[in-house]
Amino acid sequence: MNLLLRIADILSILGHYPSFILAYIIETLIVIIFAVVVIAGMVFFFRKYMARVQMRLGPNRVGKGGVLQVMADGLKLIQKESILPEGRDDLAYKIAPILIFFGLIMGFIFIPYGPLAWFGYLTVSHSDVSLIIIFALLAIMPIGEVLSGISSNNKYAVLGALRGVAKDISFEVPMMLSILAVVMMASVKVSDPLNINGVVVAQSIPFAILEPLGFFIFLISMAARASYSPFDMGESDSELVTGNTTEYSGLRFGLFYLGLFGTIFLGSMLISTIYLGGYYGPFTNYLGFIWLLIKTLVLVVISLTIWLSMPRVRIDKFVNFGWKYLLPLSFINLIITGIIIFGGIA
Amino acid sequence: MLENDTSKERYIELNMGPQHPSTHGVLRLKLLLDGETVKKVEPVIGYLHRNAEKICELDFYCDALIYFDRMDYVGAMNMEVGYLEAAEKLLNIEPPERVLWIRTIMAELNRIASHLVWAGAFGLDLGMLTPFFYVFEQREKVLDLFTEICGSRQETNYMSIGGVYQDFNDKIIYKIKEFTKHFPKTLEEVYNLFVKNDVFISRTKNIGILEPEVALDYGVTGPMLRASGVPYDVRKAEPYLVYDKLNFDIPISKRKDVLARFIVRFEEMRQSVKIINQAIDKIPDGPYFNPKAKKSLMVRLRGEGDVYARTESTKGEFGVYMVGDGSVKPYRVHVRSPSFKNLSVLPYLSRDVLIADMVAISGSIDLVFGEVDR
Repeated sequence: MNLLLRIADILSILGHYPSFILAYIIETLIVIIFAVVVIAGMVFFFRKYMARVQMRLGPNRVGKGGVLQVMADGLKLIQKESILPEGRDDLAYKIAPILIFFGLIMGFIFIPYGPLAWFGYLTVSHSDVSLIIIFALLAIMPIGEVLSGISSNNKYAVLGALRGVAKDISFEVPMMLSILAVVMMASVKVSDPLNINGVVVAQSIPFAILEPLGFFIFLISMAARASYSPFDMGESDSELVTGNTTEYSGLRFGLFYLGLFGTIFLGSMLISTIYLGGYYGPFTNYLGFIWLLIKTLVLVVISLTIWLSMPRVRIDKFVNFGWKYLLPLSFINLIITGIIIFGGIA
Repeated sequence: MLENDTSKERYIELNMGPQHPSTHGVLRLKLLLDGETVKKVEPVIGYLHRNAEKICELDFYCDALIYFDRMDYVGAMNMEVGYLEAAEKLLNIEPPERVLWIRTIMAELNRIASHLVWAGAFGLDLGMLTPFFYVFEQREKVLDLFTEICGSRQETNYMSIGGVYQDFNDKIIYKIKEFTKHFPKTLEEVYNLFVKNDVFISRTKNIGILEPEVALDYGVTGPMLRASGVPYDVRKAEPYLVYDKLNFDIPISKRKDVLARFIVRFEEMRQSVKIINQAIDKIPDGPYFNPKAKKSLMVRLRGEGDVYARTESTKGEFGVYMVGDGSVKPYRVHVRSPSFKNLSVLPYLSRDVLIADMVAISGSIDLVFGEVDR
């Protein structure tokens, strides 16, 4: 049973079409609320985890164990005056953080969350090309990064944006090629390999086992997309002050900040959906969503540990790495996948 | 350098500092950038100038010490040793034997604390967040020892002419022994946190190579010089305090790059632990100040002539030149500060490097601006 149908069923007094439209809206709202809660939770978890790693206490004053600290910080950011730099490109400056946050939240809508006990399957989009759409949405985020850099009339921001662009173009091609290999693999088993749900269904064996090389490339790409520590060239904390976000304050800065954590979570969710079997696990029909969460959280912890223990890679070395190693590797991955499919092994 | 270039639009002029998260203290760097490449660096100093040398002329010999505390505020004990080496020579006051040993121990403890701060700040420059807290926890233990011994943490004002402010007791000796017992293990942990990280190695290896000849031309001293392969250390070359009675090595490295400076500083901390362990066992009994310089007589001390004393501070060779005209106040005090000389080599090192490397190089110099500007 699908959650959409359940909601529509409850609302069926309104008539067929209105009930379905309302059900869609409600389901979308549920996912957006889930995304916002999860991002706030991520911020809190990160601060606590970071404190643990660094032998500190972390937030522990507001609320029990500091759980309300995130809310307090959020309120602080909202009521703060947003200081606007002089000589900015007004529209680009204001639209940049919104673009980043929009791309992120929309990304959450296309993830198949899987079944959970009585609620049934939670999947908002039933598009046949949701895999393409989700990466198109993720490709909006670099635009926000670039706009924020060039519009805020600050040299540090421009340098940060330049670094961010150089980083983005050097990992996006290998990332899409590794996804192409996944689509090829899925097309053997299911009729809709471009549907992200179809990719999950095709994973009776997780693709991480079938395509370890592609998994590796995708892991690195998602780390670079979220741009945390080894790959935080766009931000280049302390070196370029804070890179493209240097001139942002108040709520707009908050959106960038939440965008960072949201991307880590969304990236982990994508990795577990595309390569680790998504909501598959023992008792899938009852606990599918829980399995997805567990896989995601493990990946999140790994990401945060990498973040906290790594210095920043120099931008020219990362560009080298992307074009000289990741790209050929992703082609090799594609060829191997082709051979496996052609030989009928998988 | 760029006079011939007519197309000035090609270059970005960037002002790094004096308020910038990765220039230590109030260093201001005027950069000329071609994209990411640094074409020219011009350090601008003076934002923390407090006229310390001149103020020393207005005070009694014993009072000038606190201005030295505030020069290299991370390595205040070594500053005090430097000042007292000169002042005691000028005033003809011999500190008792026990004082020399106590001062040696304090100076070496301070060297550990200073290098730890450097390691943490250097990690932050490269984008490493975590080691900062590990090293500061250890540094806090040294500062706790200082609090126990002198009553204050950083600007200690512990030593005085002809003695120290307070004697070592059994509890303090026990605590120092405890610290040196547990510290090497944590030091190795922190060391591995850095050098076993491939990204860290790639950020520091073969970056900012300083040839020994160039280093000597610029007057670079301290760990910077030893990382270029010159085994020069005032503690060995011209021993002061009791360094000639102690067994320790001068770590050098032939790598000459940023990584070498990192390795040399960590090796120095290991040697400091060795020195403290030896000194704390050999420390003799006796008075902890010279009766000629007791509190009531201190402001009446008169000196005549001129002296120059040099010591190995945490940053390099720290020299103090003093002239006395027979009155109770010094006629002139001049300081040769190692950070200032080491900073002068930065424009040479960061020619045609990337911004990221420039930050790594300026981080590896170990600048303390209280001392550069004085």
